[in-house]
Formats: sequence, C-alpha cells, structure tokens
Amino acid sequence: MTLIEKWAAGRLTESEAEWVRPSLDGCIKCTVCESACPFAAATPLFPGPKTVGPQEERFRYGPLTADRSVDYCSGCGICSRVCPQDVRIAEINSRARARLKEQQGIRLRDQLLARPDVMGRLGRPARPLFNWIMAAAPFRAAMEWTLGIHRRAAIPRVAPRTFQQWSRRHSPPPFPDRVVYFHGCSTNYFEPRLGRLAVAVLEHQGIAVDVPPQGCCGLPLQSNGNFPAARAYATRLARQLHAVPDSQPVIASSTSCGLMLKREAREILGIEDPALADVSRRTWDIFEYLRELHERGGLRTDFHPLELTAAYHAPCQQQNQLIGKPALDVLALVPGLRLIELDRDCCGVAGTYGVKREKYDISMAVGDRLFSDIRDAAPDLVLCDSETCRWHIAKATGFTVIHPLELLHRAYHGY
Amino acid sequence: MITDALVIGAGTAGLATATRLAQGGLRVLVAAAGEGSLPLAGGTIDVLGYGPGPVETPLSALPVFVEANLGHPYELLTSPEELAECLEWFRRLTGPLGYIGDLSRNHWVPTLLGGLRPAGLLPLTMAAGDLSRGGEVVIAGIRGFRDFHSPLMASNLSQATAPAGAAIEARAVELAWPGPASDLAPFRVAQRLEDPEIRRQLAAQLRPHLGRADAVGMPPILGRARTAEVHADLQQRLERRVFETPGLPPSLPGLRLFDRLRQALREAGGRLVLGSKAVAAMRDGRAIRSVTITQASRAVPVNARVFVLATGGFGTGGIVRDQHGGLSEPIFDLPVAGPADRPQPFGTEYFSDHPLELAGVSADARGRPLGVDGIPFADNLYAAGAILAGARPWREKSGEGISLATAYRAAASILRGES
Amino acid sequence: MPRTLDCQILVIGGGSTGAGVAWDAALRGFQVILADRGDLATGTTGRYHGLLHSGGRYVVRDPDSARECARENAILREVASDCIEDTGGLFVSTPVDDPEYAERFLAGCQQTGVAVEEIRPQAALRREPRLNPAIRRAFAVADASVDGWKLVWACTRAAQELGARVLTYHPVTGLVRDVDRVVGARLRDLRSGEELEVRAQCVVNAAGAWSGQVARLAGCEVAVRPGKGVMVAMNHRLVNTVVNRCNPPGDGDILVPIRTVSVIGTTDTPVEDPDDAEVDPAEVARLLDAGEVLVPGFHEARALRVWTGVRPLFPKAAAGEGGDRFVTRSHTVIRHARSEGVAGLVSVAGGKVTTFRLMAKDTVDAAAAELADERPCRTATTPLPDSAARRFYWLGSRAQEFERAGAENPIVCECELVSTADLLAAASRRPQPHIDDLRRAMRIGMGPCQGGFCAFRAAATLHREGAYDRRQANSALREFVEERWRGQRPVLWGQQLRQAELDRWLFEGVLDIEHVPG
Repeated sequence: MTLIEKWAAGRLTESEAEWVRPSLDGCIKCTVCESACPFAAATPLFPGPKTVGPQEERFRYGPLTADRSVDYCSGCGICSRVCPQDVRIAEINSRARARLKEQQGIRLRDQLLARPDVMGRLGRPARPLFNWIMAAAPFRAAMEWTLGIHRRAAIPRVAPRTFQQWSRRHSPPPFPDRVVYFHGCSTNYFEPRLGRLAVAVLEHQGIAVDVPPQGCCGLPLQSNGNFPAARAYATRLARQLHAVPDSQPVIASSTSCGLMLKREAREILGIEDPALADVSRRTWDIFEYLRELHERGGLRTDFHPLELTAAYHAPCQQQNQLIGKPALDVLALVPGLRLIELDRDCCGVAGTYGVKREKYDISMAVGDRLFSDIRDAAPDLVLCDSETCRWHIAKATGFTVIHPLELLHRAYHGY
Repeated sequence: MITDALVIGAGTAGLATATRLAQGGLRVLVAAAGEGSLPLAGGTIDVLGYGPGPVETPLSALPVFVEANLGHPYELLTSPEELAECLEWFRRLTGPLGYIGDLSRNHWVPTLLGGLRPAGLLPLTMAAGDLSRGGEVVIAGIRGFRDFHSPLMASNLSQATAPAGAAIEARAVELAWPGPASDLAPFRVAQRLEDPEIRRQLAAQLRPHLGRADAVGMPPILGRARTAEVHADLQQRLERRVFETPGLPPSLPGLRLFDRLRQALREAGGRLVLGSKAVAAMRDGRAIRSVTITQASRAVPVNARVFVLATGGFGTGGIVRDQHGGLSEPIFDLPVAGPADRPQPFGTEYFSDHPLELAGVSADARGRPLGVDGIPFADNLYAAGAILAGARPWREKSGEGISLATAYRAAASILRGES
Repeated sequence: MPRTLDCQILVIGGGSTGAGVAWDAALRGFQVILADRGDLATGTTGRYHGLLHSGGRYVVRDPDSARECARENAILREVASDCIEDTGGLFVSTPVDDPEYAERFLAGCQQTGVAVEEIRPQAALRREPRLNPAIRRAFAVADASVDGWKLVWACTRAAQELGARVLTYHPVTGLVRDVDRVVGARLRDLRSGEELEVRAQCVVNAAGAWSGQVARLAGCEVAVRPGKGVMVAMNHRLVNTVVNRCNPPGDGDILVPIRTVSVIGTTDTPVEDPDDAEVDPAEVARLLDAGEVLVPGFHEARALRVWTGVRPLFPKAAAGEGGDRFVTRSHTVIRHARSEGVAGLVSVAGGKVTTFRLMAKDTVDAAAAELADERPCRTATTPLPDSAARRFYWLGSRAQEFERAGAENPIVCECELVSTADLLAAASRRPQPHIDDLRRAMRIGMGPCQGGFCAFRAAATLHREGAYDRRQANSALREFVEERWRGQRPVLWGQQLRQAELDRWLFEGVLDIEHVPG
C-alpha cells in the first residue's frame, strides 16, 4: 500500500487535524527548549527537542518517519514547559515516537514495562519469589541480557496486599465533603501505605475519601509508544473515576499519573471522551488541593514540630502541572522543618526510560546534578512526589526518599 | 492561588523585579509562559551604545539622549544616578558572574562577525574582550563548531576601530576538538570544557600560536556551572587573558545569568512557575484583583496585592500585532502606543527605520502603565522591560539597561507603597 | 574587441523553458549556449507555487491546455521523477462554490482525457484532515508538486554533460543583426564586468515574461502580456495533497504542498513591467481568506513569506472576457523569419512549467528548421539526471540524511536541514555565489527563521573555505538579510513577527551587522 493509499483508506491512527502539529508554527527556532532539555545535554543520541520536534515535524509525512532519534526523547515535557512560544514540543515528539513504534513494532521489554498493573497483578501471588528475583544480581544480569532491563535500575517490591484490598474494608467517615482518590498502580501494588496516608491526611481535614475500583492511566504505554492501548486504559480509568456520583474533586498522589488525567490523555493521546474531559477538569494533585484548602482557611495546622532537614525535588511531571510547588508551600507550615528546594528539572528516570539497558547511563547522567545537589545538601530526608523518581533517586544516592505526604502525615501525628 | 505580588514574565525585567520585591519581604510568584529572553541573551548588559552616534560615556550621554527621545523608557529615571545604583545592585546580585563596568564608559567588545559593539557591563568571562584601547588578539575557534568562525571574525576585527581610534590586530586560529564531533553542540562543548583534561589539550594546541597577543577570544562555551574555574584555568594555561564573545542562541552566558537570577529569586523566597500563561485579569474598581493563569487542565485566578507586567515586546507576545495591523496587549488589554495608524510600520530596507519598533505600553513615573485616558490603568499594576514603548533597543544597544532600570523603578514604587 | 564565443543555438533565458530548450537541443546534438541575466530559475519558474498540473484546472475553459497538461504530466513523471513529489490532487466543491461547475468539470475531464475519480467527501477528509469538513464533492486527479529549481538544474546539467555552456549573470545587452538575420548576441558578464559576443546560427528567445524586451533588441515583437500573481508560503504543510477549488479560476483557488511548506496561490494582475514585484496587502488578505475556505483555521496558521511571479501570457486565441486567466495557457513558437522577415531568431511565448518539455520540443523544432538541420526530439524518453531510477522525491529524505550523518556533517540551515557539505558542494558549482543562489540550490534560509541563524553560518563558512574574501562575505550576508526581509515584510504579524523580532536580535544585537567594518 502506498502512503497515499493508506491515507485514503483511513489506516493512519493519528488525525493530523488536531492541534499538536499546528503548534509547530509557533517555533521561532530560539533554542530555549534545547538549552533546557537535560537529555540532549546528556547524550548525542538525542539531538534535542526542537530538532526532533517542530523542526523534523515539517519533514514528517504520514507513517514513514525518517527519524529514529526521537526514541531517545524521555517525554519529560520540560521543553513544552519552557517554550515561550506555545509549541507543544514534547507532545509532537510523543506522537512521532508512537508513529515510529507503529512502524517498528514495540519490543517485549517495553510492552512489559508499560503495564505496571500487569506486573503488579502477576507478581503478587508469587510475591516472595518476585521480590527476591528482582533483588538477585544474577537474575538481574540475566534480565539485562534477555530483556534489556538494566541490572542496576530500581525495580519496586510488590506489596503483600493491594491498596484496593485495604480500601474495600475501610469505610469512609460520614463527612459532607468528599473527594475521589486516584491512587495509581504504584500505590496499589507497590506502596499501598502511601494510599493509606493520603486517606488519613484527607480524613484529618474532615474530608471523606471515595476509592472507586480503578485501573492504570496508560501513561507508561503512552511513553512506550503504544497509543491504542494507552487510549483504552485512560478512557476506562476516566470512566471509573467519573462513575462516582456528584462532582467531587479527584485527588491524585502520583504526579505523573495525575498529569495524565489532567492533560496528557487529552493532548497527547487526543482522547475526546466526555468523562475524561470532566475528570480532567476535576483532578488535583494532593498538595495542590491541600494548599487550596489552606488558602480558604480549611487546612488543619495542628502540626507536631519536625526537627529535621528535608530537600524537595519536584519531578518533571509535577512541574508540568504548572501549579508551582505546593508541597513546599504546605510543608512550610510545619514548625521546625527546614526545607531545601532542589531546583532541578529532572532526575533522569522519566518513568520507564531510565530502566532500559540502552538508556540507563543517560538517565544517570541527567540526574547527576540533582544527585550532587542532594549530596551537597546532606538532608535527613529527600522528598519527591513521583514513585519512579523516588526509587531512582534513592538507588542513585543512597538517601531515604519519601513522598512529601508521608512527612506531612508525620507532622500531623508526631512520629 | 494567593500571593503578595504576581510578576508575569521571567526575562531580565521580570526576574529582577521579582527578586527585588522578594528581598523587600513580599511573597512573590513569577508566572511565565516559558523561559524568556535570558537563555538567548549574549550576557552583556547594554545600557546605551548608540544615541544615535556611538556613546562613550553613558552617564553624560543619558540626559541628552532622553531629551532627544521623548517617551523613551529611560525618561522614567529620575537621574542617571538611579540607573547607576540599579546597576550596582545588579552587580551585587550576580556576584559570582563577576560583572564589571559602570556608567562611566562603554566597553567595546568584538562580535561574532568581528565588528566592535558597545556594552555597559561585561561578565568576568568577557572583560578581556574590551578592545577600546586596541591591541593584539588571537581569535581561537574550534573546527566543526558551527556558530563561531574565527577566520571571518579575525579578518573583520583587524579592520575594526574602536571610537578612540586605536588599532586592533587579530589573528585566527582554528583548533581541532580533542573528542568526538558530537561534543560540538553548545551545551555539550561547555560541559566538556569543565573537564581539565580537555582544557589542557586545547591550551597545548593553542599556545604555539599566541605570539605577542595580549588576549585570546573564544566562543562562549566556557562551562555553565563552573565557569569561573574554567576561565581562570584557561588564562593560567595560556598566560593570556581570555574572553568569550557573545554568540547565537543557545547562549551559555545568558543561561548563566538566568541560572543566577533564578537562584537569587529562590534565595529571596520567591517562587517561579514556568509554562503558565497569564490570560486574563479581573478588576475591582481602581485595582486589579486577580490575574488568571493557565495550568495543566484549568485556568485559575491568582489573587495578589500588586501585579507586574514584564512579558516583553513582539518577540515574546507581550505585544501582539494582528494581520490588519492592530496592536494589542493580550492580558490587560492595555492601550498600545505605536504606529498602528501609520500606513507602513516597516521600512523597505532591513537596516532602515521601522516605526513599529517603538510600539509598546506607556507608563507613569512610578512605572504604572497608562490607560486610554492617560492615567494609570490600575493603581496596583506595574510594567517593566521590553513591553514599554519608545525604545529601539537593538539600535541603541540599550535592552538590558531598560529592563533593569524599569524593573528597579517598579520594585521601588511597589515597596514604597507597601511600607 | 570583446571575447567571442560560437555556437549553433544561443538560448536566452534560464527558466524552465530555456533550460528545456538547452537540454532538448543538446540531446539532438546541437552546440548550445544558454545565457541568463541572473541565476537560473530566477524568473517565473523559480517564483511559482510548484504545481505540476493534471490538466484539471483547464478542462472547462481551455481544453487544449488541459490535454497538453495531462500528456506532459505523464511524461514528466517518467523523465523528471526526482523533481516531482507525487502528492496527487483534489478538486473540492466547498459550500460557497457553484455546484454546477462540478458537473462541467467532470464532463471536461472526460472530453480532454484528464484522469479523474470522484471520491466521497469523507474519503477526502480522511486523506486531508484539515480540509473544510463541509465540502460537498471531491475529485481525485493526478496533480503533483514539482520543484522548479531542481527541474531547471537537471535540464542544464544534462545539457552541460552533452557539451552545452551555461552563462549565468550574463544579461543580453544587444542582439547582433546582419541585415535580415540575427547572428548572435552581446552579453555582459556581471561578475567580471567583461563584454562578450556570442555568435549563433539561431538565437532562441526563451525569456518568458521578458521575451518582449529581448525581441525588441532585434527590432522584433513578441506581444507577451506579463500577468503578476501573488503567492503566500505557509510555514508547514497544511495539506499533503494539492487541493484545488472546484470552481472557475479565482484568487487563492489552489493550495500546493511543496517541500516543507504549502503555498496558497494565486492572484492575477496585468502588469507593464515583468519586474514589478509590488505586493498589495489586500491581495495577501484575499489569499488568506480563500485559504480559510479550503482549510478552516488558515488565518491562524503561520504565513512565512509572500512573493510574486509573472505569467508570460500570450493572447494567441484570446478568449475575451473576464481577465487574463481566460487567455489560453498553451504556448506559441514564433519564427521571426516568417512573422517579420528576421531569420535566425525564434521566440517562445505563453505556456507554463508543466508543459515546459513540449514548449522546448516545439521551439527546438523551429530552431532546427532555421538551421535547416532537423533532428528528432528525445526528451520524452530520456530521463534527466537523478531521475533515471524513476523514484519520486520524498519529503522525509533530508531528515533521513540528517539522522544518518549526525554530528559528522554539521547543519548550517536547521529549518531546511542543509548541511555544511551540501552548502559547500552547491557553492563549488557556482563562481562567487550569492547566498540567494545557494538558497535556490539548497533551500537555505527558506524555513521559519528566514536566514536568522544560517545566513551568518553560510557567509562565514564560505569565507573560511575561500569562496569569499572578507568584504564579499560581509556583503553577501547583508544582501541576503535584505532579500529575506522583502518577502517577509507583507506578513509581519503574529508568529512571523515574533520570528522577525528574534532575527533582529541576532542580526542587530548579536552580530551587529550594521557596524561591521566595510
């Protein structure tokens, strides 16, 4: 089939009519994005967001992408955030990557990494074995050779019980103010405690928390170029969250999955689902919500003093929500707590990017400045809102890295 | 969201105003559609280079210049001394970058093309490029680095004369890069120069060519975080003064300044949100109550006591021109002073006069933009930087001076009002 | 005594017609010299929207042209594939178009042999999602886009390989007459200032819209009527198929995807002087309004540049009412021996790029008759250089080369992906090139930034490699900046104004071109 025939037959998955591609008209080649891209600085394999974005997009015609380098874009989204001309650079690149995968096919490893829910579900019954294998050097070496998952990449441990299991037995108190909690796969399978803390912190404010059954948001699928599956996941999740009666805020504690609901599912995947549109407008990052509560005078400030120093890293997907750094704003209310703002854009892992054998070194190079800032600051704790970033930073620096919510919970309960 | 001061724009004017306000004790939020002018900036602080003839002493030229250019943003200055004070503040703020200079004289530094251009303040890494008194220099490029061409630069530079008339002798050297060609993107090359071994190899290649040269000109690639160390080490190895030349974007000297100003803002307690665009404003009588900014899935109002508009000119969308020649300021819909009514806002030749350059918003002596009736648009709205009408910054070589002066003025007015 | 050169056929005019004549004549074994007052393809061929007609545009009003186009389109796909992108074409009836025209269009296609297939509007929208969703009917035709510059170089290169000489920047200052015969021409070499005389057995006047001026040098007449058309290049490809309004010809009735841009065209104004390149802002506005009818949101898309081209209209069988679009667009070959009793001079007038090969064939037939040495034309079956493989140009090819070469071959022009090696190769084939000549060769400076980054890189690189001395580099840079400014000036609003502001920063702030030593 020739290109034109494919086009005519409607075999192209992306509609060129959407607005991501037209945004390239804003590009004045100013190179702001190239100077901000941590991945272009770390590897010549990625020529830079402008180059593979608005620039090469003018040469892209249909499914036949000539450029392979877009695979080295991590999708961290910093380029779109710093662009003063409104070019949706990361979105253009994400779509180009999906086209590339459509041509090349997606390798087994990326299919696996893209489905944390499947990993969690399959890993849990054989949990001790799974966790042991993931920690055993020979197995990890074998995994690197066979699958291409880097042997030193941080892989989470599967928890004995899912957060959903816990929440089914937890009956929300009868407060009039209610929110829907979107916990994400990581909280469900790997870190259910974080979900319990989120519920506790919200209930402490007199807010009841609904936890509807919910699946994966599809972000890892999107990052790995599998748009059709990502669309199905995101749409299903949006409908699950939408099904909770009354229009309550949807609270997310994973910043990358929250951003998926807020924007990426609509703007990168191009999903035009009314449930998603509604959920998208109602989604809040948990600290964004708490800060708003505080501004309205509704946040409880019965904090125990915490005499410690914590350094906060706002992950790229948190910064892409364009809400500032509400975790810092809220934690600043805690007496005794000394906060250090780590003003770096990216830790390098970018979801599943830094887990891959061929990209691990790049990922470590990207994170280098953040890691050395952390070592220089020598805090008692490192705070970071995104799970993969926490695992990556902890592995790279040896510091204890927790979600800022955990610290807030400690401040409320004094432990 | 609630803050004391919302500054819109993260260029020189926005960051300078915000930092000054935060130093003055205000809670400050900077919201910017993106990283603005700084990552592109050459790194020099241009105050007044041409007015229209070459300016040797900005301090004495400024009053005459303001007289001859009615409506110029420098009119907002009560005296040149206010600008001098502002530059002194800037030099302290950017301490680690080692800016030199004041209003007593312009520096004349080589351009990439090998002309000489006036600049008020120079970062440490460019200080040795001041060729006001002539001299012998070696221009050292790197083969394969596409934005620095020492042969053309040196041959033009040898023909250039500083206003004082002193002769310049320039020779070109092109070094072979001691690494893979893929290093030669501006960021990577700057990063690689932070490695002493690379510097040793480059210096070894360069030394035999230096002869009697007083100084060595290089591309603007002397590191990003460790620039002072890279610069000092090269000077030591070459036993000559070394200077960078402002380059095409992405510009390391501009980025270093951006890094520094961001850090200063952070240290003063200010907050910066990049990628968030201000789209509308709500008024409450004579005051602006809130400005709506965009987030990932919503637009939210930011309530503040004062607002500073530092969104720049046409290049960054601070001022917009539509297909039919209409000029507008998209956030507050401020009246734009400019040649909208002139049939031809652009000259026929590139280097001829373009009346549109003068377009922008007008402001009162406190830095508050004016409404249609000629009185301030709102009591708590201020403007700073390239959005202000009346300047031809590229012709005048006055861009950073205007940004800093108007930022300083706006911040002073705000802090006076707050106290 | 000026230097003299001898040849059998001297071709005046280095557009597609002249280049086609040189190629055809050289293929037939004649000794040929081609001269142009400037660089090749700087007249009409280098300044049009790039459409290779299927013939559809002419089926209703000008059936002869339609037939010619259909035949030539098929031939060029065989012999000039490297210059052609097989975009295909659509004629669409929008809600504001006369529905009856579609019927006449279909009937006309049948009568003239222009291949057409009606497709459902939904199918057209799937193929071109940005098209107006309200289109009522859509017809697929064999339109394509053709790179006029590549075409001209391919022809002249083929001619040169067969021994022809090409003299660019050699304006004709006079035609040499020997009583009732033209025996040659006087040229001036603009680079050296030298005068020279070319003696020829036949002079071919292929100066297109300028052919009246050339004929007058011999006291002859070619009643060409230059018709000026305005075109606007949009920053990226809004469509990947040529899209025509299925309506009688009018302003802005065609949108052509060519290389990295799409071009909306065109207008038609009779002008006295073919060098009149004035752009009326109202014409630009009309084109953009017309674009909005084809592609909703057109006004929000970024207009990059505006230019004019002149059609060499020749009212052979003037169809009368309504303006020049209704003058037949087929061509006429004039043997001045017959019309005015001046032997040794053949002029060709009218026509268009799509039929350039046929125009060349007819012209060389006439010239051969002047020489009394008739030989068969072979251009219909001989592929041009780089077209032997019969592979069409693909938009992604430069991106592919760029990805392959990587850092080893640094890019000079990022917007159009022109590498240093490409630039130097193009420069090595041209003595003392203007950057604008290299632009036509490589598209350097034709993208969004309009030379903002690459003009300096190009001038400085050519200086380093010895193609320019210091002064030449400075003036080449300045000249190119001025040249790029002219085409942007009429569209400086919105995004292109932002670009111009950044460029001003680079040209005046960073490079300070104004104060470079003379």
